[in-house]
Amino acid sequence: MFADILMALQAVATIENFLIMAIGIWAGVVIGAIPGMTGTMAVTLALPFTFYMDFVPGLLLLVALYKGSTYGGSVSAILIRTPGTASAACTALDGYPLARQGKAGKALNMALYSSCIGDFISNLSLIFLAAPLAMLALKVGPPEYAMLMIFALMTVSGVSGNSLLLGVVSACLGLLLATVGQDMYGSFRFAITDDMQAGLSVAPVLIGLFALPELLKLIVFRIAPKNDAMKLGDDKVSAAEFRASLKSIIRGSGIGVVMGAIPGIGPSAAAFFSYGEAERTSKDPSRFGKGELEGIAASESANNGCCGSTMVPLLALGVPGDVITGVMLGAFMIQGLTPGPMLFQNNIHEVYMLFIGMLVSSVLLFFAGKLTMRGFNRISKIPATLLTPAVLTLCIFGIYAISSNPFDVVILLVLGVVGFAMFLLEIPTAPFLIAFILGPMIEENMRRSLAISRGELGIFFSSPICWIFTVLIVFVAVTTIRREVQKTRARKAAIS
Amino acid sequence: MKRLLTGIAVVTGLGAGAVHAQDYPSKAITLVAPYGAGGASDLAARALAESAKQYIGEPITVENRTGAGGMVGARSVADAEADGYTVLLARVGMILNPAVNPQTMVKADEYTYLGALESTPMILSVDGESEIESVEQLVEAIKESNGRMTYAASGATSIDGFTTQALLKDAGLDPLTAATLVPYKGGNALATAVMGGHVDFGAWAAGSQMGPIEAGDLKPLAVFAPERMDQLPDVPTMSELGYETAGQITGWSALFGPEDLSEEVVAKWDEVLDKVAEDSTWLDLAEKRGSISTVGTVDVTEYAKSQFELFNGLAKDFGYLPE
Repeated sequence: MFADILMALQAVATIENFLIMAIGIWAGVVIGAIPGMTGTMAVTLALPFTFYMDFVPGLLLLVALYKGSTYGGSVSAILIRTPGTASAACTALDGYPLARQGKAGKALNMALYSSCIGDFISNLSLIFLAAPLAMLALKVGPPEYAMLMIFALMTVSGVSGNSLLLGVVSACLGLLLATVGQDMYGSFRFAITDDMQAGLSVAPVLIGLFALPELLKLIVFRIAPKNDAMKLGDDKVSAAEFRASLKSIIRGSGIGVVMGAIPGIGPSAAAFFSYGEAERTSKDPSRFGKGELEGIAASESANNGCCGSTMVPLLALGVPGDVITGVMLGAFMIQGLTPGPMLFQNNIHEVYMLFIGMLVSSVLLFFAGKLTMRGFNRISKIPATLLTPAVLTLCIFGIYAISSNPFDVVILLVLGVVGFAMFLLEIPTAPFLIAFILGPMIEENMRRSLAISRGELGIFFSSPICWIFTVLIVFVAVTTIRREVQKTRARKAAIS
Repeated sequence: MKRLLTGIAVVTGLGAGAVHAQDYPSKAITLVAPYGAGGASDLAARALAESAKQYIGEPITVENRTGAGGMVGARSVADAEADGYTVLLARVGMILNPAVNPQTMVKADEYTYLGALESTPMILSVDGESEIESVEQLVEAIKESNGRMTYAASGATSIDGFTTQALLKDAGLDPLTAATLVPYKGGNALATAVMGGHVDFGAWAAGSQMGPIEAGDLKPLAVFAPERMDQLPDVPTMSELGYETAGQITGWSALFGPEDLSEEVVAKWDEVLDKVAEDSTWLDLAEKRGSISTVGTVDVTEYAKSQFELFNGLAKDFGYLPE
């Protein structure tokens, strides 16, 4: 085995491979940073190129693009509150306030460090824990899935709001919006126009909710948000700050690894989940949403923590768990290879090459991030009166470009107004968004479970994984409500 | 972007006016793949784009427009300018959907049929550790379970729902109640559900099954295809086993354009597809993704019509449509 690894190392350590990965990562970062251009898009566009490449460099290009774009999404999330990818929405919650305080560089650095660490841990898990993770992924059937998602939604509903009640209201609205379109059995809900039959896509909802209210604030209040001047030394993450966030980074990576390995969950849910956990266990949760570095660390380590482990189902079972690995399966098939356990027997050389390449790409991500940061960082110095209209134009064109559907632009604008109204009413938008993303997963798996059990609710408590989540759900519900009661008491005491 | 700009140009009268058909094609052609990237329709579209561009003389760009079981992409092509610059990588769903769903987003006659492309087998499989070894045993188990056995499909009236329902009908059972349908999205999710033992069986596209079958995680019982698959020579076809309706169901891809394409455009694609039929890239890629090229061997208009009648008949039979 050691000789195998050495041979693979030799084969993979060519200038050509490094160049391909470096270009892939860097292109991924830029694409991820542009709102409306997603990692899926980048990987799809790159697929035809891999037809003409050797298998390993081709696959490494796809992996590099995916990793780069997952990190890149955080850049625009921090600088202009426009998450380049859905999984970076959570990063905007604390990243944008930091940028406004003149600490954009610090936020970008923290995002990069936690992304790289999450990414590296995820690669290691893929290499050493592929078999147990694949087992776990298969064990998560519809009832387990539903319980896990309910737990994640519960943790997140308390995110970034002063009031638990408003957080829950926000989540309920998100769940409601998620029901638009065709349901899993084929009946239509709220399909007022033809376009609504297909449901609402995530990208316009996301950008509408997060980016557009900023512009509306500018128009309505006629006050340009002032960015504080950059202070000396504020663009670096200090050792103490890093240490304070380390726990969240490690936990975030762990959440990313597990959620990434389970087919269909994806980095957005992982990032929100990790963020919710970081806030819940923090000594001072009130700082979250106002520029807490730990929030960025939690979110970014979790979304990049998915990057390696998302390949577990593809490599260990031969079945991709999401769209990105679906494209990778295409790359495998075109090369005449079938992913799955047999790959480890028949093509172990290529597998090792792939693993080594992935580890190297985590390091490359660090340098690519550092390199792009210098350029992007200047964005925070552009006055908001110029920047915001430019961002709006970018958002509208970006959203139109995704599906060439004018209806998506309508969703974007309507959700922008909704987001602004929510801002006025002090309803947090994050629970809305995550409920919108998780809603279909909860509903579908609940209905699948009930189809299998023929309507018996007992199926939700039928396996050890279900029991664990039942306990966790009860625990989180009790602690959250208790904290809320204590807060109300403290407020009352302060008044009287 | 480009489409938007061309759109604006045409609307504002800045465009070159009517496209001269004899010049076709004079710019890039958009090939819409109505399902997600990396799936069967996407791979077929990209393979076609790769092999046809040299014969048509212009680049072909593949665009994934997904949603509503592929009908969003289909709608966008049916609505597109009938100038031959927007075409559709159609799958069996494009005919199945209008045949079983009166409220379909695109009717089967809203296209110009340009040519057949490939046939893609579907496989009836159970979990690799299942005790069931043959279709006969499976049917027996379904009968005994009294409706409790579950199967995975993309939806009741999707192609991978019809595979199982056709088998149930052939076995003399009620296609709607003899086994319980559990809906999943797409072949890969179906594979995970059967491999994980969350449902008992399913019959869906071969593309997402080959890896798990090779690894022993899925056990193939029969294929829905006119002939046995090269990769699975020991697995019988449904027709061989005597299941007549099930034997007529299989997956396929074809090239459709918007309604009323000019004769010149149709003739050009005829010419191009004739060359693609013998193109080594096309044949090689088809073999690698496990499909059989049908370019030039199947009359697409005839085939689409017979498929429509088959599914329409089944939908009435199963009770999805009034007789």
